Amino acid sequence: MKIGLEVHVQLPTKSKMFCPCPTTDAPAPNTHVCPTCLGMPGSRPVLNRQVLVYGIMLAKMLNCTIADTTWFSRKTYFYPDMSKSVQITQYDHPIGIKGVYYLNGRKPIRITRIHLEEDPGKTKRTADMSSLVDYNRSGIPLAEIVTEPDLATPAEAREFLTQLVTDIKHTIDLPESGERSIRCDCNISVGKERCEVKNVTGLKNAERALTYEMVRQVKVLKAGGKIDRETRAFDETRGVTYSVRKKEMESDYGYIDEPDLGIFHVGKFAENIKIKESPLNMTLRLAKQYSIDEAKAKQLVATSTDLAALFEELAQATDIPTALTWSTSTVTANWKAFAARQIPTAGIIDAVKKLHAGKITDTECTLELKSYMTGQSAAATQAASADLDTLIGKYLDEHPEILADCKKNVRAANRVIGYIMTQTGGSYSSAEVVASVNGAIRKRL
Amino acid sequence: MTDADTLAGLKRLNNTYQMFHAFTADTDPGDAVFLFSAKDNLTSKDFETCCGSRILEGYRPVFDATAIANLRRAGGKLIGKTNMDEFGFGTFSTNSAFGVPKNPFDRERSCGGSSGGSACAAAILDGHVSLGVSTGGSVCCPASFCGVYGLVPTYGRVSRYGLIDYGNSLDKIGLLARDPAKLKQYLPVIAGKDPHDPTSACQPPLELKGAKIRSVAVPQEAVEGISTDVKNAFENGLETLRSLDVDVEYVDVPELRYAMPAYYILATSEASTNLARYCGMRYGRQDGDYTLGFDAYFSSFRTDYFGDEAKRRILLGTYTRMEGFRDRYYAKALQVRMDVIDAYKRIFAGHDAVLTPTMPFVSPKFADISQMSAVETYKTDFLTVPPNLAGTPHLNCPCGYNAAGLPVGMQFVTDHWQEDKLVTMAAEWNKIFNVRVPEVKA
Repeated sequence: MKIGLEVHVQLPTKSKMFCPCPTTDAPAPNTHVCPTCLGMPGSRPVLNRQVLVYGIMLAKMLNCTIADTTWFSRKTYFYPDMSKSVQITQYDHPIGIKGVYYLNGRKPIRITRIHLEEDPGKTKRTADMSSLVDYNRSGIPLAEIVTEPDLATPAEAREFLTQLVTDIKHTIDLPESGERSIRCDCNISVGKERCEVKNVTGLKNAERALTYEMVRQVKVLKAGGKIDRETRAFDETRGVTYSVRKKEMESDYGYIDEPDLGIFHVGKFAENIKIKESPLNMTLRLAKQYSIDEAKAKQLVATSTDLAALFEELAQATDIPTALTWSTSTVTANWKAFAARQIPTAGIIDAVKKLHAGKITDTECTLELKSYMTGQSAAATQAASADLDTLIGKYLDEHPEILADCKKNVRAANRVIGYIMTQTGGSYSSAEVVASVNGAIRKRL
Repeated sequence: MTDADTLAGLKRLNNTYQMFHAFTADTDPGDAVFLFSAKDNLTSKDFETCCGSRILEGYRPVFDATAIANLRRAGGKLIGKTNMDEFGFGTFSTNSAFGVPKNPFDRERSCGGSSGGSACAAAILDGHVSLGVSTGGSVCCPASFCGVYGLVPTYGRVSRYGLIDYGNSLDKIGLLARDPAKLKQYLPVIAGKDPHDPTSACQPPLELKGAKIRSVAVPQEAVEGISTDVKNAFENGLETLRSLDVDVEYVDVPELRYAMPAYYILATSEASTNLARYCGMRYGRQDGDYTLGFDAYFSSFRTDYFGDEAKRRILLGTYTRMEGFRDRYYAKALQVRMDVIDAYKRIFAGHDAVLTPTMPFVSPKFADISQMSAVETYKTDFLTVPPNLAGTPHLNCPCGYNAAGLPVGMQFVTDHWQEDKLVTMAAEWNKIFNVRVPEVKA
């Protein structure tokens, strides 16, 4: 089975791709519109440069070859929500080609191309069988990412999409909410001929549509039938795909160059655009570079890429075991409070450095970190911490067998954690409890 | 004639010559410093803008074209929108849904096209300047037939914001006037970078410093197959130029022969995508049967409201960009365009300008035009198409009159951005050549 995807991502620009209309959710239909996005005669597109920047960032994320010279084309087709009956897209010279993206950091998925285009408006059908068109979405910038048919199963396609979306969000700071969503066209073939399921919204639906389509195609072939190349649509409520048009009815878009925008020499410009390391790549790099367990690296990155970066600083300032121990325990436990305070990491690095130099003890270091990261006074922190430590110490004294178990299986600590959580009833964060219990056991072993 | 007289006489003149699709009812010029008119494919807030097409009937744009806005800001009063071939598709202004302008020198004859109404207004109204638009010759052709000066600046010199597209990579806004001083006066007003049109953004500053044309190249093929009266007037023109110390040299430029087919492929390819937006619902005519499916509605609407020539060019342009034909036609035409530009550059290395007659004949009678096939009509553009394809600036200068008193024009082409030389030439020429004022019949 072969699956290839065409993923559409709305880019988080403030204004539309070719006009100054806002991209925020509009108060009413057809309010975020102007002559350009309504396609009125005599209006003209002017490119929003930020669209090129985002395109280049995503092309880099997908390890694509970035075009030295790029331009736009016109794709002509008739549909009521396409205000010009022409979509400005990229055809001959897209922003990026021939990329490769590693699923789970291992399986290479080839990227055919990434190009930039404008979104059309929306057509809404009403109960009385008439249609209304809203052009607020008309001209919102999109990036379209096209993969080779390298995905093996619907589940793998979903996994790919999940990872891709996480990475895209991280790379271009895509907001979580709003109408911005991932839409994709799913190509799937179980035999020779493929079908394309157009315009599926969301990750879960992509997997559902592909699974339905896989089963359908297998059934047709088993019954001795033949798969026709065609375009299908997905009915979200019923969970089925249905034929929209056959191959020979595919429209010819008659691409020509877009003469109104000119040619963009982006080679030098692209060189100067840096992208953030993706969470997955960072995890893999940390595991390799510091020879640490991949699960630990993943834990750091999953909490926050800033925490992972702090781990790297600590490793520089002290050594890898010290950095790992402290960044995955006390620092992780208090990370949320610390991040909210927006204060420098220097205070954390100082404390761990003092410990490493033997100037303070483990307990003193824990207290100092907690106090700095949460902003509680040292005394209050100490009191709270002392209470917690007393409780843990008492329980360990009463159940010496736990320590013995811990030598065989680290999971034995869970019994202590569970007990303390119940006893304290939420007055300490779970991260804090985990860190203190682990600390106490470590000391006694 | 004062501006007030002009305004007072508009209705009467338009009844006779049909140069306007819409015009002002004002009789008082008010604070206006000058009067101007504009081709009806330039958007204007105060007049319907229909491009000579029924499909845009009733369309009132919400914004002014930059060229119109700039002239208004300089004190101009827009008095009307001039008749034209539908969307610029024509050579004689006969493909208009709103009346065909009549030649000021003989009302049985055409004003030329597609900016026919603009040339007519420029010829008839005193001290008038009109905005025209040239895609493949639509300013110089009517200027030649109506005996006025017509200037088309370099592609990108004047913002196309508000110009309703025919072929975006070819369309250029130009000026028509009987008095060449108007070209010099208003070119700087309409030229310049405009944030609304990216293709206007890379121009060097316009400087009108009186640079002169000292040598012209006349392509051999340009004087083959032209009528005797045009040939005589053109050769007289060459003699006059020599007397002005301008070197005249005949050259061979075979590339120019391919300009015309390349032009029609590119222009119609672009036009067919530009015209795709006209399918009712949004502006212009919005009637039709809304109970039909959208495809059927679009088809019936376009069938009813596009004229024959518009339909022909949409079909041609859709064909030349179809999958499987694009490389053979569209992509090849782009290459030919580069070759034509190269040919011009080679000439400009040794000469200041290329000079040809503007049209191969004087204005034909409407009766004869109606007998011409589409291809015969297209072929008559062979002299005006090359500079338009290359995006080089060009100028029509009236250079003589035939025995019947019909004007003949010659066309100067200079290198990109060298409008200065054309404006200077027009002024010098006008000192020694007597441009005739048509006898206006009311």
